[in-house]
Amino acid sequence: MQNFDFLGDDGLVDALLMEAADLMQDFISYGRAGSIDLLGLPLSASCLAALEARLGQGEVAATVSISGESQTRETAIHGLWWTRHADETGRVVALLIEVAAVPEILRADREDMARGLRRLRGLTNFRLARPAS
Amino acid sequence: MLGKSGFSRRGLLKFSIAMTASLALPPGVASAMAANLAQARRQSVIWLSFQECTGCLETLLRTSSPTIAALIFDYISLDYQEALMSAAGSAAELTLRQAVAANRGKYLLAIDGSVPVADGGVYSLTGGQANVSMLQQFAPDAAAILAIGTCAAYGGIPKAYPNPTGAVGVEDVITNKPIVNIPGCPPVPEVLSGVLVYFVSFGRLPDLDDRKRPLAYFGTTIHDQCYRRPFYDQGKFAKSFDDEGARQGWCLFELGCKGPTTHNACASLKWNDNTSFPIESGHGCLGCSEPDFWDQEGGFYTSLAGGKGPGWEDTGIAAAGGIAVGAAAAFAARHKTAKPPQGPQK
Repeated sequence: MQNFDFLGDDGLVDALLMEAADLMQDFISYGRAGSIDLLGLPLSASCLAALEARLGQGEVAATVSISGESQTRETAIHGLWWTRHADETGRVVALLIEVAAVPEILRADREDMARGLRRLRGLTNFRLARPAS
Repeated sequence: MLGKSGFSRRGLLKFSIAMTASLALPPGVASAMAANLAQARRQSVIWLSFQECTGCLETLLRTSSPTIAALIFDYISLDYQEALMSAAGSAAELTLRQAVAANRGKYLLAIDGSVPVADGGVYSLTGGQANVSMLQQFAPDAAAILAIGTCAAYGGIPKAYPNPTGAVGVEDVITNKPIVNIPGCPPVPEVLSGVLVYFVSFGRLPDLDDRKRPLAYFGTTIHDQCYRRPFYDQGKFAKSFDDEGARQGWCLFELGCKGPTTHNACASLKWNDNTSFPIESGHGCLGCSEPDFWDQEGGFYTSLAGGKGPGWEDTGIAAAGGIAVGAAAAFAARHKTAKPPQGPQK
């Protein structure tokens, strides 16, 4: 992440909160998830800290361990998530504010679940009933 | 394919999120990119090496994350690359002909090295065929051409004065195909990865600047993204490579840094597992991703201002103006590129 500490904070934080509010309104009205790429903006470290502090801490936090750690947590605003993706070296590759019922990275995929089901069947001593084809 | 590669959808989505951030695409595009990658056929890539030093190939082999590199290689089929393939001689030539025949109109033609055209191109041959002749033979059936490295993009070091081989870039020979230039000596590996993933995902090249470079990576200068930029704005310049200013990490402008006129992603993506880039190692940018960088007036150690930096009396103006211009430029460049792809071009 670049160092933009020499920039002011307040105006950018307010602008980002307004953009997040627009995304929230869009989700509430139309069910469309949205996100803001914070790494792509010239934000200082202090600006990011101020933004994170203003959004507060919510009820949910999760870590996804694949190709490095991804951490997502709900802010004090329901449905507004603070998500940080890091690679295997710990470098942050994406920092997002997400608006969604559940962040996409947490959702289990049906194909992955199908592979999981095969593994699950292999774990038991019983022969589980297979679904009718 | 995902199951075989050991990647779950979450892994592919995370990869896509990182790539969309890298390509300055809206983050919402990541889901579509992941879905497209999950369905994608392996993209045929035919890589021809011309008048070059193999540094560009070395850079591709040193992408920062082995897992990501492995994923990329699941999505491309590197059908011909002389330094990496085991076949040689007539077997290699047969492989090339077969790859072209099997992927006619669909393959990406990757070129590293400049194209010598003097004296009928006799200064660089492969299997007895001049590079310029090979380029003219294989370009028409390509979906697009990737000119990898400054040599392939603009002629590079072989083109340096007096240019005895008549070296030129790919775009000087081929004018009727989509071409993306990925300059750098060598180029940043993640830029090549990003362009490949974009093409595999969306079937088209990413948005380019007026020099056919991917805008997402070349839309800003090294200077705009440099962590030493605040020192430039404050008028703090190192006067030699071992003075107090250099030890304090001050701006290297007066030591010849070409960051202000060089477009590349070194300052943001960095090198060697995100360790550093030349300026972070204490040396000014050479401007290696710009045309004719080797012959630039004054050489590598003369400042762009002609031997001295901005006057100290202008420090206050530079500080105020520089902050505003730098921030606006960085912001504008990111948003200029931030439009979703418009569907396949193939």
